[in-house]
Amino acid sequence: MTVQLDHRPGLGRLYAKAVATARSRRGDQLPETSVEMADVTIDREQLASYAEVCGFRHSDVLPPTYPHVLAFPLAMTLMVDPSFPFPLPGLVHVANRITQQRTLRADERLTLRVRATDLRPHPRGRQFDMTIEATVAGEPVWAETSTYLRRERPRSSRSAKDPSPQPGEGQGGGIAPTAIWRVPRNIGRRYAAVSGDINPIHLNPLVARLFGFRRAIAHGMWLKARCLAALEGRLPHVLTAEVEFKSPVLLPSTVGFSSQLKGSTWAIAVFQRSSGRPHLNGSIEA
Amino acid sequence: MADLRPAAIMGGNRIPFARANGPYARASNQDMLTAALDGLVARFGLQNARLGEVAAGAVLKHSRDFNLTREAVLGARLSPWTPAYDVQQACGTGLETTIHVANKIALGQIESGIAAGVDTASDAPIAVNEDLRRVLLQVNRAKSLPQRLALLRKLRPTQVIPETPRNAEPRTGMSMGEHAAITAREWGITREEQDQFAVSSHLHLAAAWKRGFFDDLVTPYLGLQQDQNMRPDASMESLARLKPVFGKDGTATMTAGNSTPLSDGASAVLLSTDEWANERRLPILTHLIDAETAAVDYVHGGEGLLMAPVYAVPRLLERNKLALQDFDFYEIHEAFASTVLATLKAWEDPSYCKEHLGLSKPLGPIDRARLNVNGSSLAVGHPFAATGGRIVTTLAKLLAQKGSGRGLISICAAGGQGVVAILEAA
Repeated sequence: MTVQLDHRPGLGRLYAKAVATARSRRGDQLPETSVEMADVTIDREQLASYAEVCGFRHSDVLPPTYPHVLAFPLAMTLMVDPSFPFPLPGLVHVANRITQQRTLRADERLTLRVRATDLRPHPRGRQFDMTIEATVAGEPVWAETSTYLRRERPRSSRSAKDPSPQPGEGQGGGIAPTAIWRVPRNIGRRYAAVSGDINPIHLNPLVARLFGFRRAIAHGMWLKARCLAALEGRLPHVLTAEVEFKSPVLLPSTVGFSSQLKGSTWAIAVFQRSSGRPHLNGSIEA
Repeated sequence: MADLRPAAIMGGNRIPFARANGPYARASNQDMLTAALDGLVARFGLQNARLGEVAAGAVLKHSRDFNLTREAVLGARLSPWTPAYDVQQACGTGLETTIHVANKIALGQIESGIAAGVDTASDAPIAVNEDLRRVLLQVNRAKSLPQRLALLRKLRPTQVIPETPRNAEPRTGMSMGEHAAITAREWGITREEQDQFAVSSHLHLAAAWKRGFFDDLVTPYLGLQQDQNMRPDASMESLARLKPVFGKDGTATMTAGNSTPLSDGASAVLLSTDEWANERRLPILTHLIDAETAAVDYVHGGEGLLMAPVYAVPRLLERNKLALQDFDFYEIHEAFASTVLATLKAWEDPSYCKEHLGLSKPLGPIDRARLNVNGSSLAVGHPFAATGGRIVTTLAKLLAQKGSGRGLISICAAGGQGVVAILEAA
C-alpha cells in the first residue's frame, strides 16, 4: 500500500501522536505501507539554514544528506502509523548509508518514497531499516538506508556495545585527528530547528537523562553531515557514504575527526578527543 | 631570466551579480568565491588541477577571512596543492590580481593561474564598538585583578553599538559618491548626459544577455540566472524621476540611477602560457600586453578621487607607443556615469592634458560606439573586487569574437587609485 502525501505533514502533530501512542505499540512485523510525496521543491532559505548549521557552503548543489531532511516528515508519518510496531521515543539511530547517483540541484523537484524494511535481531534488541528513495522525473538519483535499534535487553558490559571494533579506526587515539571540532552545546537545538527532528534527547539535558544519557546528545545525521561538509571540494559526484554511529556525542564536546583517502575511498571517523572512544566510523566511496 | 611571454587569457567565469540584500544576502565572500572558482573549474576541465597560483581578494572582508582565497581554493575542486593569496586594492582588486598572475606567467615563474575577486555588501563585517575594543584590550594587558576591575568600570551601555563599514574615505570623511559629485561639478557633467549614459549601459547589457554573450561566462547561483540590477526597459523618463543623492543644492546631478548600486558577486579569470593552454586544448582569447597603476593626491592635491586612471592611461600608451584611438574596445568601469564622462572630457581637454598630465597635446576623443559595448557596472552592478574579473573576461571575449585588435581597460578605485591594462586578440 502506498500513502500519497500532497503536502508536507506538520511535524508537531506527528510528534504529539508519536508520544500519545508510544505505550500501545507492539508486534513483530513492519508495515507494508510506503509513504510517498511527489514534486517536493527545495526552500532555499531552509537549505541555507541547514547549510549554516552543518558547515556546508551556500550553493545550488544539495548536500548529500539534505534529502534525509526533506523526507523526515514522511518517515515520521510512517512511524506513527498504527501498524508501526515500535514507539518512536527510544529508537536509536545506529547506521546510515546514502547513495547518490549524481549531484542534486536545488532547483530540482524530487519524488520521495519512504518504507520500513528488514526487521532483524540485534545483540541488544531488534533493528530495522528505514529506506528513502528519491527520483527526479522517474530517474532514481538518491537512496538512503537508516538503521534503527529498538533496545530490548540491557547492555551486558561496555565492550558489548561495540562488538566489531575496526583496528585503527578511531580507537584509543589509534590515528591522529586531521581536525579538532568543538561541538557547541546548542547544536542539538540548532539542528532540530533546520531538520524538524525535535527529539528532546537532543534538546534538553534533563530529558536526555530520562533516556539514559548524561547530557543532551548531537543528532547522528548532523554528525554525518558535518563529516561530509569537512570534505568540501573532495566528495565525488557519485558516491556511497556509509557510517555507523558508535556512541553519542554528548553536548558540548570536543571531538577528533579523521579522514584518509585510500584509493578512491575515504575512511572517516569521529572520536572523543580525550579517550579516542569512537562516535562515528564510516566510508565514502566514489 | 626567461624571455617575457605575454600571458594568455582563456576566459573566465562569474556568478550573476546581485543587488545587496537580495538573493545572495546569506552568502559569504567565501561561498561566492568558491562558486565562481568551481564554475571556472567546470568550464575549463580543471578538476584537481594544480595551478601556479590563485590570486583573489575582497574589499569588504571579515577579519576571520584573512586567508580568504586559500580557504576558497581548499574548498573548490582545484587541487588543494594550489597556492593562493589575497590582494586588496579597492575596486581595482580584480584587475590587479589579473596583472599579478599575468606578470608571473610572463616572467616564467608560473605556467597557469586564476585571478579572481569577490565582494558582498550584504554579509558585511560588523566590528565591536571601538571604545569597547580598547577597553577589552586594556583588560587583556592588565596585570592584576584590581586593574581589571577598574577598567571594567569604563564600560558604557553605548558601547554595544557596533562599528559598521562605511563607504567613505578615511581622510576626507566623504563618501565616494560625494567625491564623484565634486568632480562632476568641476567638469560640468550634466544630469542628462549621465542619465543617457546609464540608459545605454542597461540597454547594452540587456542586448548582450539576449544574444547569449554571457552564456559561457556566467554560471547561475542561488537561483539567480542573470544580473539582477539590469533594467532592459531603462529609459530617460524612468531615470529622470529619481532624486539626486550625491552633491548638494540645485546643482546636484547624481542619482541612484546613474551611480552603481551596492552589490554582491564574484568573478574569476583563467590565465596561462600559450603552451599550457595548447597542451590542454583550451582556446586562447587574448593576451595581456601591459598594465599601469596610478594614484592621485585627492586629499590635499586638488585632484578628484576617481581620476587616477586619467593619469595611468597616457603613461601606458606612451610605453606601448599607442594613441588613445588605437583601440577597438574601451572598457571604462562605470563607478558613476559622471566618472566615465569626466575621464573622457579630461583626455579631450588641451589645458588639463598639458598642465596635469604633462602632454603636449590632448589624448583626444574616442569613438563612443566602442565604449562599454556590452554594458558595465551601472547596469551589471559592482561587487567591488569582482568587477575587474568581469571586465577582463568580457573584453577578452569581445576581442576573440572580433578575431583581431586590442582593448583598453580602465578602473578607478578608492584611495585615489587607478588600474589600467591593454589586452590584444590572440
